[in-house]
Amino acid sequence: MFKLTVRNLLRKKIRFALTTGIVVIGVMFVVGVFALTDSIRSSFDGLAGDIESGVDLTVRSPLDIGDELDRVPVPQAIADVVAAVPGVARVDGRVVARNTFVIDGNGDAIIPKGPPALGFSWFPTQFFLIEGHAPTGPGEFAINSTTAADHGLVVGNTYGISGPTQQRDFELVGIFHFGDPNEDKSLGVTAAAFDTTTAQQFLDRKGGFNELSVAVEPGADPAVVEKAVADAIGSKYEVINRATKIKETQRDFNQFISIFGNVLLAFALISVFVSAFIINNVFQIVLGQRVRELGLLRAIGATGRQVSRSVIAEAALVGVFSTVIGIVGGLGLARVLRAMLRAGGFSLPDGPIELRARTIIFAIVVGMGVTVISSISPARRARQISPMAALSDSPRLTASSLSRRVRVGGLMVAIGAVLLGLGLFGGFDTKPLLLSISVGAILVFIGTTVLSPVFARQLARAIGWPIQKLFGVPGQLARENAARSPRRTSSTAGALMIGLALVSMAGVVGESIKQTFVDTIDNSVQADYFIQPASGGFDPTAGFSTEVTDKLAALPDLDLVVGYRFARNSITVNGSTKSVFTTDFAAGTRHLDPNVLSGSIKDADPLGSILLHKDPARDLGVGVGDTVVVGFPDGKFEALKVAAIYSDSSIYDNYVIDNAMWDRHFNRSELIFATASIRGYSKDLPESQRAALLASSAASIERVTRQYPTIKVENRVKFRESQQARLDSFLITITIFLGLALLIALIGIAVTLALSVFERTREIGLLRAVGLTRRQLRRAVRWEAAIVSVFGALLGISLGLVFGVAASIAIPDTAVKSVAIPWLSLAIYVIVAAVAGLIAAILPARRAARMNVLDAIAAE
Amino acid sequence: MTTTTTTSIETGAGLAARAVSATKVYGRGDTEVRALDGVTVDFEKGRYTAIMGPSGSGKSTLMHCLAGLDTLTGGQVFIGDVDLSSLSERHLTLLRRDKIGFVFQAFNLVPTLTAIENITLPMDLAGRDPNQAWLDNVIDTVGLRDRTGHRPSELSGGQQQRVAVSRALASNPEIIFADEPTGNLDSTTGAEILDFMRKAVDEMGQTIVMVTHDPVAAAHADRAVFLVDGRIVDEISDPTAEKVLDQMKHLGHR
Repeated sequence: MFKLTVRNLLRKKIRFALTTGIVVIGVMFVVGVFALTDSIRSSFDGLAGDIESGVDLTVRSPLDIGDELDRVPVPQAIADVVAAVPGVARVDGRVVARNTFVIDGNGDAIIPKGPPALGFSWFPTQFFLIEGHAPTGPGEFAINSTTAADHGLVVGNTYGISGPTQQRDFELVGIFHFGDPNEDKSLGVTAAAFDTTTAQQFLDRKGGFNELSVAVEPGADPAVVEKAVADAIGSKYEVINRATKIKETQRDFNQFISIFGNVLLAFALISVFVSAFIINNVFQIVLGQRVRELGLLRAIGATGRQVSRSVIAEAALVGVFSTVIGIVGGLGLARVLRAMLRAGGFSLPDGPIELRARTIIFAIVVGMGVTVISSISPARRARQISPMAALSDSPRLTASSLSRRVRVGGLMVAIGAVLLGLGLFGGFDTKPLLLSISVGAILVFIGTTVLSPVFARQLARAIGWPIQKLFGVPGQLARENAARSPRRTSSTAGALMIGLALVSMAGVVGESIKQTFVDTIDNSVQADYFIQPASGGFDPTAGFSTEVTDKLAALPDLDLVVGYRFARNSITVNGSTKSVFTTDFAAGTRHLDPNVLSGSIKDADPLGSILLHKDPARDLGVGVGDTVVVGFPDGKFEALKVAAIYSDSSIYDNYVIDNAMWDRHFNRSELIFATASIRGYSKDLPESQRAALLASSAASIERVTRQYPTIKVENRVKFRESQQARLDSFLITITIFLGLALLIALIGIAVTLALSVFERTREIGLLRAVGLTRRQLRRAVRWEAAIVSVFGALLGISLGLVFGVAASIAIPDTAVKSVAIPWLSLAIYVIVAAVAGLIAAILPARRAARMNVLDAIAAE
Repeated sequence: MTTTTTTSIETGAGLAARAVSATKVYGRGDTEVRALDGVTVDFEKGRYTAIMGPSGSGKSTLMHCLAGLDTLTGGQVFIGDVDLSSLSERHLTLLRRDKIGFVFQAFNLVPTLTAIENITLPMDLAGRDPNQAWLDNVIDTVGLRDRTGHRPSELSGGQQQRVAVSRALASNPEIIFADEPTGNLDSTTGAEILDFMRKAVDEMGQTIVMVTHDPVAAAHADRAVFLVDGRIVDEISDPTAEKVLDQMKHLGHR
């Protein structure tokens, strides 16, 4: 029996190659993602250890909530206390800050894509000079070697540096390797280093340090010294040992790499899921072609169990083969992915691509799992083949009844929909939410595929109608062939359906985000200019200094400049952690109006009140005039009065404090965003006067911002356009990733069609004999594929619409308030699907056309 | 559509098809098989010819070559005046569509098309409208009026074969080739089909060439040609089943 299985596989080489190929793609992707993230992770883990070498203990302020950089600076006095502890050899105060952008020789800011732009105090065990000397004095800095090389920075030249609070010129005096004496391991960050005093001042540490690095005397027991230091510094500060510090550094990075890896993995699993559909389909078709042969086996004494086992064994063989190739290919793919990400601007470390045991196990689970699970239902049907099939004229598999399909498919869709609904609206935590949504989506997809044969014939005929009108008999053949086997059409289209459902869902959500943004700008934003980091986003790690807004505010053309800050998960409100937004209570609403329902923002006490969106206000059970207790990263708490409750969370998020309150509790002063308005400007002015005011104010602003390449200023029209363009490019990125699923789906269509053509050999021979030309035959095959593709596209887009609208409703108002549907894009998807189907069918069509008429007629 | 095929109708030399020293060789060297070994034969218009012969005699190969489904190794075949060896693959297809009708032993119909769609298929492929009066005549002759909207799977074997004969007749071709048209049918149904084909010749003036090894089927023809080992060995005019059977015994095969 096993020998027969192997023979079977080998006999149909092309079929074997195609089936294997589809599984290989899925396995490759999974292995590639794991291998890449593992290797990035381990090279960083090594770096974390390198960076901390020479540091036995670290002393710092405790931090319960907020950003690492929100720790209260450690004053010199504590450094002195630590230095006096017996066993301590050396204490170095260290300073680090974000938003320290070097401006290159051309006047452009060096803005890393993704990683932060950091400023440091010089630290000899972490920075290894390769040229020049360490920075000393207020006018000098050093830079990591990669940044210097990439941007042509030369020792001896003077460069501007835009820091957290100001911009100043410094002379480049040294170039160093970051983290490793032999190579720069900066991983894409730009690292500017200053002497300690300069760093404290320029990087806004208010005379203190982010942390103290303590070296223990040789021979002293670090644990004993740690205890002594802890006793000396008291409870206001904490001390940790090197192992803990390394773990923390690794954990921070792991969080980033996990998000990155999970996103890639999600795409990998989608492609695996799509592959499963195609594999199942191929097994079903192949089984259909082998009914007579299997009937013969049954007739000569094979048991039903043996027959079904041989089907599963064949699948398992495909699985083993694909897994092995997939693992090898995955290692290659990891390199390709790394190169692609690098080309896209991400700085990823070099180093060997790692293949861990877990990756191999996962590859086997995916490769074997997909094939074996896909073969279960064909195997069950194979068991039911009767020995009579060998004798019958045209043996057929018994198809499952329609009513059963409706019941099973309907049930799956219903359960899936409930799970999706629970996920979207049930208020779960991240993990159960993702589980509920993904299991729900999988059930809906499978259920729809089970259900769709019920209407596949009618829908395929409807889609094919214009094609028949257009192309006559070939069109009619295409139409009827697409409709003749509803089950096959459904499962072939199923793979495409999934891809397009995801793409359309992303499209609907993206369009809704865009619509929300446009609505907000049009209805709630009165500012004339928008000041943002040059990278263009609302990235809390890429802020700019208040120096810019101060200079702009001093311009006579502008009557008001408001700066805004934001910190994720950095305050507590009545005990639970929240993100916070800031504005200028007195004047901010003139630019950004969150639609106050009760109370007043303008009259609120900047240092004693908070503004709430209506939802959290309801959840907290507070109204205007009530008090909430707010905790800050510096460990302090304040009782703040609710001064106003507003309804539009798309601007200010949910919790708003005044900038003055921020300054009291946060150690960073960078703005993430600012708005400005033109003096004397009003929508009611005549067009010419408005244009003149816009032009003159733009010129004045340009004179200021020319010196600040880290920011960009856009007027209303430009701002609106550039934000929409950002969203568009994000959507395109997602679509490209999902395009992989579409590619697999198209391979599936090609494979199915090739098998169908093979199956219809005699029919094709007959058609050719009675006068179907090769061109007409090719056309019929191609348009059949187009009909199947459009069928899948319509199903997918319908599901995507439902998913997208549900998601848009479920996403908090902060991001999506109005639901919009990108009809044009959806229509384009249908056309693209049709064209892709035509392309996928080129090879099967050619194969059909090449068939020898006589062989075809004579075929058994 | 080619000018050559059009002229052939006008020239109308009284022959619907002919083969001249037709040779077909499969394989090479030791494995060489001469399926046709210099066959020269004429098929007159309006006549019903049966090609007889034992299995492997080359009768199917001869028909395939005459019908432009297969190509010769040597010699020539003509449909009307058109030398098939001079035609490209595309023109052969068009010739089959426009000038030739086919009835095969089995699998004659496209399963996704209805009976009437199958019947008009060659004309639909050519983008021509069928001659409605002729079509009605054909359909009524084979008695399929109430079955035209059915798909092949809804028809009996005999009905399917009648649809196939109708298709061959519908475009009023120059010649119809039938390959064991009754091979898959029981004798009663088979006799019906043979009667229809006889009628097509007598009443509609069609030309039919039928390959068969069934003496009863051959008895319906005007003439029986006997093929052995790729050569024409004999022929009988107005064959009866007995004469044919006799002849076949004489040839020393089954």
